Amino acid sequence: MSSVEAAKSSAWQQGARDALPLLGGYIPVAISFGLIAVQSGFSALETVLISTLIYAGASQFLFIAMVASGAPLWLVLVMTLLINARHLVYGPNIAPYLSNSRWWPLLMHGLTDQIFALAHTRLPQLAEKDRMSWYISAALIAWGSWIVGTAVGAIAGAEITSRWPLLGEVMPFALPALFLVLLAPRFTSVQWTLTMLITIVAALVLKLMGMTNSAIPLAALCGVSLFYLVQAKLKAEGKAHG
Amino acid sequence: MDKSLWLLMLACALGTFLLRALPLLWMRRHLVRRSISNSTEAMPLWLTVLAPTMIAAMFGVSLVPAHPGLSSWLATLLGGLCTILVWRRTRSLGWPVCAGVTVYGLVVVLLRLLA
Repeated sequence: MSSVEAAKSSAWQQGARDALPLLGGYIPVAISFGLIAVQSGFSALETVLISTLIYAGASQFLFIAMVASGAPLWLVLVMTLLINARHLVYGPNIAPYLSNSRWWPLLMHGLTDQIFALAHTRLPQLAEKDRMSWYISAALIAWGSWIVGTAVGAIAGAEITSRWPLLGEVMPFALPALFLVLLAPRFTSVQWTLTMLITIVAALVLKLMGMTNSAIPLAALCGVSLFYLVQAKLKAEGKAHG
Repeated sequence: MDKSLWLLMLACALGTFLLRALPLLWMRRHLVRRSISNSTEAMPLWLTVLAPTMIAAMFGVSLVPAHPGLSSWLATLLGGLCTILVWRRTRSLGWPVCAGVTVYGLVVVLLRLLA
């Protein structure tokens, strides 16, 4: 194998390795989605297509719930897009690390919350030539697990959840554990530590208050505001001392 | 699903895709205009701050267990501590997550047995 092929293969492998922890979070949730969608009257094929094409967890649950309850179709569309509006900031944040390949915009179909979090950490560490291989590998593992999990849930979800209830309870902890590992290197200064801690606490409290869908953007805005406040305070102190 | 539902599903899928892809194209043009396409210096500060805070917010939301209770909160705390300790030793991605999930599961099972 040439060195170029070796580097390519390792970028693919690293992408797959990095995405593996996602399976613990994706598969149980996808199984639940498959099960709930079938129980709401969708066929297994329709359920799998929803996961394949929309591919956005929270909004998929909302989609089937609103359709099943007979909500107006325009409202379903608006609510789905509103929930997914947080994705607006993901592409621009990884743009500096992407080449000008025309494939990148198409590959954004795989840019979920978790893939964004992974890519934002990993892409800057990779050589430019390895980034697309890494991204495709990680995104395909995540997308594939979401689709397979949905299919399993639609076909045998009820049996699985009754036979191994503990599995569905424990495996989703992979997601907070993964986010924690991605965040840990960012506690580099008082300003960042305060911003991160306040954001985490705000998101936690908002989620506990039942604001599941707005918790992420609201807590992030809270964190950004605090970051600017601390920065202004540090500048003012610097001027006072300087 | 009838025809209107299929169209709705396709519209939701297309809309979600555009929410992910269009901002990338916008930022690409912005970077090209600044002629420093491989640098984060052209990024507005608010955007570079927003990215880590979005990840922090996802972490905060994901911390809430599906069935909140004393045992799941304790398991979350100990699983999180174990994750961070293993990360400090290995500085890797996979092992800390594996260790965290294992400890989380063990605490849930142990507390269930004790109860």
